Amino acid sequence: MRFWFKKRPKGERPGFDEVLPPEGVPLYFEIATFGVRFGAQLIDILITTLAALALVLLLSAMGLSAPGFMMAIASMLFFLIRIPYYVVTELLWNGQTLGKRMVKIKVIAADSGSLTAQSLVVRNLMKEAEIFLPGTLLLSLDSGSPMWSLISLAWITGVIAVPLINRRSQRLGDIIAGTFVIHLPKPMLLKDLALSSNTNREVKAKFTFLAHQLDHYGAFELQTLEDLLRADANVYNSATAMRRKETIDAVVKQIRKKIDFADKVNPSENIEFLQSFYNAQRAYLEQRQLFGDKRANKKHKDEKDTQTPD
Amino acid sequence: MSDQGNLMRSARFRAERETDWRKLEALTAKAEKQGLAGMTFAEARDLASLYRRSTNALSIARQISLDRALLRYLEALTSRAYLSVYAPQERLGGLLRRFFAQSAPQAMRRSWVYILIGFLCMALGAVAGYFLYFENASWYHVFMPPELAGGRGPDSTTGQLRSVIYDSDPDASGLGAFATYLFSHNTRVAIFVFGLGAFLCVPAILLTFYNGLLLGAFYALHVERGLGFDLAGWLSIHGVTELSAICIACGGGVQLGAAVLFPGQRSRTDALRDAGKDAVKLALVAAIMLVAAALLEGFGRQLIQDRTARLVIGWGIGGLWLAWFVFAGRKRS
Repeated sequence: MRFWFKKRPKGERPGFDEVLPPEGVPLYFEIATFGVRFGAQLIDILITTLAALALVLLLSAMGLSAPGFMMAIASMLFFLIRIPYYVVTELLWNGQTLGKRMVKIKVIAADSGSLTAQSLVVRNLMKEAEIFLPGTLLLSLDSGSPMWSLISLAWITGVIAVPLINRRSQRLGDIIAGTFVIHLPKPMLLKDLALSSNTNREVKAKFTFLAHQLDHYGAFELQTLEDLLRADANVYNSATAMRRKETIDAVVKQIRKKIDFADKVNPSENIEFLQSFYNAQRAYLEQRQLFGDKRANKKHKDEKDTQTPD
Repeated sequence: MSDQGNLMRSARFRAERETDWRKLEALTAKAEKQGLAGMTFAEARDLASLYRRSTNALSIARQISLDRALLRYLEALTSRAYLSVYAPQERLGGLLRRFFAQSAPQAMRRSWVYILIGFLCMALGAVAGYFLYFENASWYHVFMPPELAGGRGPDSTTGQLRSVIYDSDPDASGLGAFATYLFSHNTRVAIFVFGLGAFLCVPAILLTFYNGLLLGAFYALHVERGLGFDLAGWLSIHGVTELSAICIACGGGVQLGAAVLFPGQRSRTDALRDAGKDAVKLALVAAIMLVAAALLEGFGRQLIQDRTARLVIGWGIGGLWLAWFVFAGRKRS
């Protein structure tokens, strides 16, 4: 079937999917993996089972019904609690059951609109047919009927295979409802590297870079350097500190070689050198980008040469 | 000289907008915790306008900034705000009313062809079962699983059959019988029939047909003993509702299966999604009917022992269902 083999559009990050809100600025959401969703499902099953158990105990304590029918009433209660639970929680909490809240995942509509009650009912009713029916079948198996065990086994394999093959790891119910499950993005604003070092005027004056020295690298190298500099704050023990120092030494050496930086850099000034290089490089690249010269990585020169040899 | 003047463009961009972002972050957290309904007017208005400003900032930042921390933050912030701005705003009561008054009967009318297929499968099965039984009574044992027949078969006496139909000493309490019934054979069949339909039509059709066979053979057994009309009464009181529910569930399943098999010009995913809109309503209707049938079986069948009364109630309720499907939710002209 075609929806199992749909190709990822070019230029999209793997594991992410694009959603285009009405504002017209595409957003990229990280698709929740199978394991996380399974965990959320387990929590939900636990919650609904506990709720149903409590009710059953209450009923039997009140002695309303003959013990012979208690099993039947119990299984009815499981149904009557479970089915509305998923639909109502996802509707009220905007696509999150209690289990999904705990593991911080969320259902969203694939067509970038808001979730409709319709789609939530569809995906949760299909869950009955997809997960719980073969699940109970598997639990209530007896060795006397190998045909049913084979059927339920095949069913479960098929049901698990669909989200594993699928690009957005959608269940069958997700496909029919037009939804998929994402990790909730967590906004965390780190301080601006350029800003924190700018207050230190001394550094800026000490290391200056010329335009041709900044022509070597692209955005990828800049952001890798950014990650290296940000990792500074959390050094725990001496071993990691030593390793880090070696890495920084090597990086400084490599950069100086690549850009032909002739001035001497003291090992004690390594961090300052990298910071001012980061600043200068970022300012330069951003400026180039404004003029339409977007440099993804250090290979940008080769690409340009093949396009327009001069 | 101000500090702002030294900054590169992207850092200045961030410094100018950071307070707005922090405010949006707080508002989003509040909206997620309390829902938009729990916010004041000013907060909701700010959330919407700050969200639009942050999408704007995000699209600029993607062009001018290479600061990965900033880009990631803005992406996450805008996504979170988007999710709470476009959260579903429906209330449960309104949803239920709309389902019963409009969308369910409308969906039933739209997919009448599939429901007809469901009924046809069942009817064909019943006719086949009926004639097969008269051809050779041992067919009965081929179709009927022993636990379902409850000891009734070609070997039972007419008296035994009659005593099941007119149970003078109901031992089951109403609630217990109701619950047992819900998990009886037919509910499982309805769920299976719907679920299997989604995978492909054939199993759903076969299963419905098979249930028709059971019904036909069972009916033939009673007709042979001259109990045909009595069984009709016994079955009618809940069976009209219940067997219709199975056929409707089958119709829903077939609708899904048909979308996978014959998607037409659309992709299979789209076809399945479109078909799912009506099919799931059929499944819900079938579920409601099964609960009603369980109530009828649990209470009605034990209390009402008269044949004519059973027939009248059973078909009367069937007529009520039909009236709901045919007349409800039509637009007034």
